[in-house]
Amino acid sequence: MTDRSDPALIRQVLDGNPDAYGALVARYRERYSRFAVHMLGEREDAEEALQDAFLRAYRSLAQCADPARFDAWLFRILANRCRTAGARRARRARTFVRDEVALGEASAEHPAERREWREEIHRALGRLEPDQREAFLLKHVEDLSYEEMSTLTGAGISALKMRVKRACERLRVMLGEVQHA
Amino acid sequence: MRYLLFFAILVAAAPGLAAQDPRLEARLDPTTRAVVAALVDSARAEGLPTEPIVDKALEGTTKRASSDRIVAALRTLSTDLRLARGALGRTAPDGDVIAGASAIRAGASPETLERINGVRGKAGISVPLAVFADLVARGVPADTASTVILHLAEGGASDADYAGLERSVTRDIGAGAPPGASAAIRARVTTGDVGAATQGGPPPGVPVSPKDPKGKPSNRP
Amino acid sequence: MHDDDQHDELITRIADELRTPVALDPGFDARVMAQVRRSARARWRLALRWWTEPRPLRVSPLGGLACAAGVAALFVVGLVSLRPASPSPIHEAVTPGKVIAAEPGTEMVQFVLVAPQASTVSVVGDFNDWDPSRTPLQAEAAGGVWSVNVPLRSGQHQYAFVVNGKEWRPDPTAPRAVTDDFGSPNSVIVVGSKST
Repeated sequence: MTDRSDPALIRQVLDGNPDAYGALVARYRERYSRFAVHMLGEREDAEEALQDAFLRAYRSLAQCADPARFDAWLFRILANRCRTAGARRARRARTFVRDEVALGEASAEHPAERREWREEIHRALGRLEPDQREAFLLKHVEDLSYEEMSTLTGAGISALKMRVKRACERLRVMLGEVQHA
Repeated sequence: MRYLLFFAILVAAAPGLAAQDPRLEARLDPTTRAVVAALVDSARAEGLPTEPIVDKALEGTTKRASSDRIVAALRTLSTDLRLARGALGRTAPDGDVIAGASAIRAGASPETLERINGVRGKAGISVPLAVFADLVARGVPADTASTVILHLAEGGASDADYAGLERSVTRDIGAGAPPGASAAIRARVTTGDVGAATQGGPPPGVPVSPKDPKGKPSNRP
Repeated sequence: MHDDDQHDELITRIADELRTPVALDPGFDARVMAQVRRSARARWRLALRWWTEPRPLRVSPLGGLACAAGVAALFVVGLVSLRPASPSPIHEAVTPGKVIAAEPGTEMVQFVLVAPQASTVSVVGDFNDWDPSRTPLQAEAAGGVWSVNVPLRSGQHQYAFVVNGKEWRPDPTAPRAVTDDFGSPNSVIVVGSKST
């Protein structure tokens, strides 16, 4: 079968053809843009993190231990970039409101306003702890197994399960109310 | 009156012959369309798949080829389809016949097709032909590639074996090996047939490999 | 499957909504590749400068000899390590991931062309009647990396790119079809049935 696989493209890049990297960028940008946007809540920040991740991956491509698992390796780099970017932004501005009490107040301010379902989800996501948000996205949106999540984040499986559980509980509370509004 | 009726029926029937495929109608000039339609009709009558013929005509129009060139290409294709059908049998699925025609065009002989089909039986011919196409596209000479896929089939190779061989050859070529040599060597390695000559089967005296396909049912009528 | 107690309808709805692919700025690929190329050039310049800049060295004649031998050895080592790493086992033609599902019997294949000067790129082949208007690729027009995902049936397919509506361009990263009926060469892709 004609070999368009990641290892083949990586080999081309390492052989001195940087343009072949473009195929990898095109292959993964959508899948990982989704994760970055939901993690960081803003498209520009997400694009910056994703760009950063691709560049780092390119620069250390020779150190990718298993080119057949380039996707997981790249994802790990991206997850780290998102964590760094998120921490930086938290210091810069209080974009995400984490307090459930504050959520109640915000709803009371605009009782008559019907927001798009998607916007509500994003607001709710923003109110999760970053670890919980990350775990929720990896498990329920990116469909990773707990083993894969553990390899990717470095956290233990039971810790990850707890984060997902908490995230789901909080999302149910926040969005369950909106549902019935 | 009867004469007019006959003429009317003839006129009504003619578009049915010449414009069965709206794609041809949209993209070919009337003269070419008529010839193409006739080729498609006779292929259909012979039990040959017609989609590749239509597809080849459309390829020619996109490439702005002359009418003559398109028709010549279609005639060659029809012949290849006919040979493939003959080698694989009347009950062979269209997909196999199409793959067989491509293989013939790329240099496989109908005899090779027939032999592989006979050996593979229910396992089907699509994987060996796909590997053949890939090897030839990568520069393995057609007769070497034919020998390789036949050798594997007669050695009882599985689909996974074929895929493994293709991967190995691709890797070898990437590392700078001559395609033909790589294919020949990998074929021997795959069937465990270390003493075999590059061309043809094992020399006399060398035991047949343990995966002897004798007894496999053939799907030939 | 989610075997925890979180699997309920609301969570599923949330996840479904979040699974929608997010469109990036069209210039994204171009920006990344511009940085990649800058990085590649910088590496060469750095390597070149190291070799060409004169450095004052003060050593005894014997030391100088030992030094030269050492440098020669390092040079050889450096050359060896510059060769590409031995390739890992290659897996079969890969689908781009879980973004789009393909019908059974087909595989999602991504066609990519790097064409910074192009204003339009489409792919034509036996899967779309060789029709240049059917399957356009997308990218930043001024940038460079064009791509599209197409479901293809198992088997061999021939194709090529059409740039700016009229330039025929085979895929530089794919093998060529050995026969050519019309004077414009095609590229070949063989889509394998996935081993279960």
